[in-house]
Amino acid sequence: MLVLETLHGLRVIAAPASLDGVRWSEGTIVLRFAPDEAFALGATEVQIPDEYAIVVHESAFVGSWLTREELADSVLPHIEWPLPERRPSLAQGFVAGVPAKLWLDGDRALLLCAAAYVHELADRLG
Amino acid sequence: MTEASRIVVDGRPMPFHPDDSVALAVLRAGEHPHHGGTICLAGDCGNCIAEVDGVAYVRTCQTPCRPGLVMHRHPAVGAPPLHPAVALDTTTPPPARRISVQRSRAEVVVVGAGESGTAAASAAQRQGRSVTLLDGGQGMEVVAIYAGPTVIVRTPGGMAHIQAEEVIVATGAAELHPVCPGNALVGLVTANAAGQLHAAGVDLGVAVAIGSPPEGVPCTPVSGRLRRFEGHARVTAVVTVDDDGGERTTPCDTVILGLGRAPRDVLSRMAEELPVTVVGPAAASFPLPPAPDAGTVCPCSRVDVDDLASVWDRGFQELELVKRATLAGTGTCQGSVCLPHLRAFIAERSGQTPEPFTARPASRQITLAEAAAGVHVDAFRRTALHDEHVSLGARMDRFGGWWRPWHYGDHVAEYWAVREGVSLGDVSTLGKILVSGPDAVESLERLYPVRVADIRSGRSRYALLLDEGGHLIDDGMILRETETRFALTFTSAGAAHAEMWLRDWIDMWGLRVHVLDRTMSLAAVNVTGPLAGRLLERVGLPAPPRFLQHVHAEIAGVPCHVMRLSFTGEVSFELHHDVHRSVELWRALLANGSDLGIVPHGLQALQGLRLEKGHVIVGMDTELDSTPRRLGMDWAVQMDKAEFVGRSALARTAGLPDQRRLVGLTMPGIAPTEGSPIWSDREVVGHVSSSFTSPLLGHAVMLGWLKRAPFPDTVTVDGRAAAVVRPPFYDPEGSRARA
Repeated sequence: MLVLETLHGLRVIAAPASLDGVRWSEGTIVLRFAPDEAFALGATEVQIPDEYAIVVHESAFVGSWLTREELADSVLPHIEWPLPERRPSLAQGFVAGVPAKLWLDGDRALLLCAAAYVHELADRLG
Repeated sequence: MTEASRIVVDGRPMPFHPDDSVALAVLRAGEHPHHGGTICLAGDCGNCIAEVDGVAYVRTCQTPCRPGLVMHRHPAVGAPPLHPAVALDTTTPPPARRISVQRSRAEVVVVGAGESGTAAASAAQRQGRSVTLLDGGQGMEVVAIYAGPTVIVRTPGGMAHIQAEEVIVATGAAELHPVCPGNALVGLVTANAAGQLHAAGVDLGVAVAIGSPPEGVPCTPVSGRLRRFEGHARVTAVVTVDDDGGERTTPCDTVILGLGRAPRDVLSRMAEELPVTVVGPAAASFPLPPAPDAGTVCPCSRVDVDDLASVWDRGFQELELVKRATLAGTGTCQGSVCLPHLRAFIAERSGQTPEPFTARPASRQITLAEAAAGVHVDAFRRTALHDEHVSLGARMDRFGGWWRPWHYGDHVAEYWAVREGVSLGDVSTLGKILVSGPDAVESLERLYPVRVADIRSGRSRYALLLDEGGHLIDDGMILRETETRFALTFTSAGAAHAEMWLRDWIDMWGLRVHVLDRTMSLAAVNVTGPLAGRLLERVGLPAPPRFLQHVHAEIAGVPCHVMRLSFTGEVSFELHHDVHRSVELWRALLANGSDLGIVPHGLQALQGLRLEKGHVIVGMDTELDSTPRRLGMDWAVQMDKAEFVGRSALARTAGLPDQRRLVGLTMPGIAPTEGSPIWSDREVVGHVSSSFTSPLLGHAVMLGWLKRAPFPDTVTVDGRAAAVVRPPFYDPEGSRARA
């Protein structure tokens, strides 16, 4: 059974140009959900030049790091869309019919979804 | 003969030889795998289908024998029976019979590994393209081609879905079956099948051949045109007609039929307008058989020539119409057997040869598990409190995309806890959106029909969300945080759409506003009842906000956004908080309220509580064209605003007479079922959208639609008189919620 654990971080909504300019701490993984939206894993604070930015602590995502083999065996049979070639990159779509995201980085991948779906995703991926 | 080399046919052991198909083993035993009809041993027809190991409609000529395989013939008439898969306990799902799906991509998929398919594959490979070659004889049976094109393959290990840039169909040609009286007898085989049977050592007895005889198979050629087969159950003679019209009867045990061929084109016929190329015999144009004048044309759907003539005489004179009127071509072989004969029938009568009709996936019978392979049912979300509800005995059900507690065992007790004491409700499913930006006020003024600019920080306002036609699409609260930041709430089912609605309009207007959907990030607990304030005092909120105010505060150590509002009609505080602190907060509230008689309430109680207050539930009490006027909610629209979505439509229609209205209804006794028709003067004039037997009021309360003016004062529902009243039914002044 796939084990997905809570991911903590900062979720930021801001002008795309402002988000582009943010200097995150060394090693922070920043998942750019949309041009105006980012989820920075493990981050606790951010300086952003947008006074109207929405910055919230986020703990509503769960995730699991997968090896290349685990990705191929457990996840790829359950997706109907092509993975991006570039690394690192973020892919978003249905995995086994559950809205999910994949952060693809070198030989590993982070599979994540909203915590509200964790039971469905874990059950369907087995 | 050992047990290891037997199959079981209709309960009897039957030996088989290595490499036998099931059909071949049955024929070797002198029997027929169905109840008669021409055997082709090529998988083209439905004359050998049977139930194999519990799966019906299996082509036994394509099914290898293996020890212990169990075959049951289908009934001679009618469909095979459905097996009782599960006991009558509908609360326990049957064990899943999952079929795996392997998804892949290919530049070129070639279907058929015969001469033309192999040549096409080689040619594609020489062009440097990657080729996937599939052949049913090698266990890779293509059963469908969908848009994409996506090729659906049945494999020994499950299903394969291959998305291809190009598909080449090289499935060859199928042998024609005879259409004449007696063509459902046992003892008829195609020339190719005769060759296979002879090679396998099956004794054909006295065999005669009509048309082109197979090479190397002992048989006596019979000249003349085929007229009929004679015999009872099994063929005993074939009757042919000479050129001079004379009939000749030839006694025989087996009739070998070399009547010609037709393209094996089921796959290509289901792939029109897709990048699918057909090559080889599958693309060839073969001469049609003579037009049939008697006998069964479509054995799958049991359509005979008389049926065709009947529909033709009634005006169904196109191939597609003949197909629909008779169901010929809609059966297990999708026209592989009957299509050439149907075309010949129409060509003779109309003088024009029709194009073949479309085939529908799948070209072979597949099981429901195979059809559903890789298809997932909707994913329903769980709130962070799901396990808490289950441990409290909740009956969980699906509402608005979420699993939610319907009740915890006694919805009436839950109701009284709200009305008389204090209760908790899990409202984590509510839509929750943050908006922030210099144009936040402007955007919300344009989106909502209520005034937004005058909502002060720390205050909130109920608001409808209308579409351009002025129809209600959602509702919720607008809560002002700062001059430029607002929290918005929406219904549970409407949250995702509401977010898109906001983003689309804000983008279109070019306003500077950020939008963040926090629906799944924030949990929410509704603390409601006359003792709700006392409970909150105990857990860290000595001065709860007043009605329609909201504050940020720690409740039992958990940071919360506390919103004072009311859906139940009693004092209510919604505590919005981080999902991963939800269980901690829930348990603290229950523990601190135990001496107050606190219990959680489910949706069943909540729907009654809100109904007593006359609050509508969007989607339940509203319809796609429900305007505020029809809902009796004009009070929530400020037409003196300059502009908002839906305003112009409301202004245009304001002076028009309206035939619809959502009304309140009351009657003594138990509430009728939701959806019950509303009668007036012996005519149906509407329906009940919500109903509840009020424990407090002691009678039924309802919301219902009246769809005919003038609106009556009394109606009949469920055979009983009901009074049309103006809701709310309970505390019309709203003093309890504001207490």
